[in-house]
Amino acid sequence: MYKKAKYTEHDKMSDLICDNYPMVLVTSRFGISLGFGEKNIGEACRHNNVDVNTFLTVVNFLLENKAEPIDPEKNKFSLHSIITYLRNAHDYFLNFRLPHIRRKLNEAIKTCPQDVAFVIQKFFDEYAEEVNKHMMYEEKVVFPYVKSLLKGERDQKYNITIFRKRHDQIEMKIIELKNILIKYYPGESDHMLNSVLFDIFATENDLATHSLVEDFIFVPAILELEKQ
Amino acid sequence: MSTTLKIVIAESSVIIRAGLEVTLKKISGFKFHLVEVGYPDSLGEALRMHRPDILLINPLFVNGTLLTQLKEENGCTDTKCFALLYTAVETSILRMFDDQVSIFDGPDEIKKKIEQVILKEIAEETDPEDSQSLSVREKEIVVCVVKGMTNREIADTLYLSTHTVITHRRNIARKLQIHSASSLTVYAIVNKLVELEDIQPKG
Repeated sequence: MYKKAKYTEHDKMSDLICDNYPMVLVTSRFGISLGFGEKNIGEACRHNNVDVNTFLTVVNFLLENKAEPIDPEKNKFSLHSIITYLRNAHDYFLNFRLPHIRRKLNEAIKTCPQDVAFVIQKFFDEYAEEVNKHMMYEEKVVFPYVKSLLKGERDQKYNITIFRKRHDQIEMKIIELKNILIKYYPGESDHMLNSVLFDIFATENDLATHSLVEDFIFVPAILELEKQ
Repeated sequence: MSTTLKIVIAESSVIIRAGLEVTLKKISGFKFHLVEVGYPDSLGEALRMHRPDILLINPLFVNGTLLTQLKEENGCTDTKCFALLYTAVETSILRMFDDQVSIFDGPDEIKKKIEQVILKEIAEETDPEDSQSLSVREKEIVVCVVKGMTNREIADTLYLSTHTVITHRRNIARKLQIHSASSLTVYAIVNKLVELEDIQPKG
């Protein structure tokens, strides 16, 4: 579906997005806004004060679609930049994506039996709360830990292995909701419900790749940092 | 619902690996989670880390070592091994494998081979009748679970052992692909197994 090749800083930013449209989420999470003109990836990154190597590491990792750890030695990326990226992704999920799906979902299930609508809504709210907790843990515990580690401060009580062990797959439950809607939805299905399903499919994928960036780019870099 | 299988592809040619990936994607009824291994040196680690259902491997990768030994060393005794063939290979070597996939096989042939080796096992575990829909007993258990009962309480109510309850719950999860209690609640309401008032805390 998408062009699979390694991108370099000399490729045009607009080509990257046109060839692989999900990358528009990556540019926005790095704080690079649309309207690239004829700029190549390197120029567009520098124009927005984004570390080019970090951007390319994330983009090429996602496009290659291989669940293998990225060696922090070989790919000189900036942890500050990765954290910014992850934070913006959290903000996107919690403050835009999930509330947006919630609104559309509630609109779509308006016509189905009341008890069904009630449990679906309740399920979604519990799910959103779970994602919130998952991400807030990273914001409140993991990122501050890494920031002080970067300043050379050691924490005797915490290390990234604790995070690695408790880092679970947050997309699993939304996959289950999607499957239930597909297999058993009792009401008339309409355009709105289909549209929500599309959103859920996309979000499920987005959440999964988000976790991959954490597990295979972020965590290995911290492990390396802890060794020093 | 499609069966998810984890496959490690051990083959040094990137073109063959990519070709396999594309071919496997064309197979319906299965969802494959693929891990590619390009060098014999990294095979052991990949097996340990991923514990695949299937190892699709160029016989040259195990030159000399016994496959059973490789599987045991890496905790993958249940992994099924397919030889990936593009030349003639000695029969004594091929005997180590569960089956073979030739690079001239299409998606349909590969699907048949996977089904023969993998589904045989799954079929043995499940009851012969319709394996997707729930039995009456399983439905009773779903109702208890969504009412918030513990395995112990369910066992007492239905006169079963807790062990049996756990087995039923595992089968329910597998059949429906639903693992959390909150998803099961949605399932139960949507399928009219319970009423809303049954599952809401009283008071």
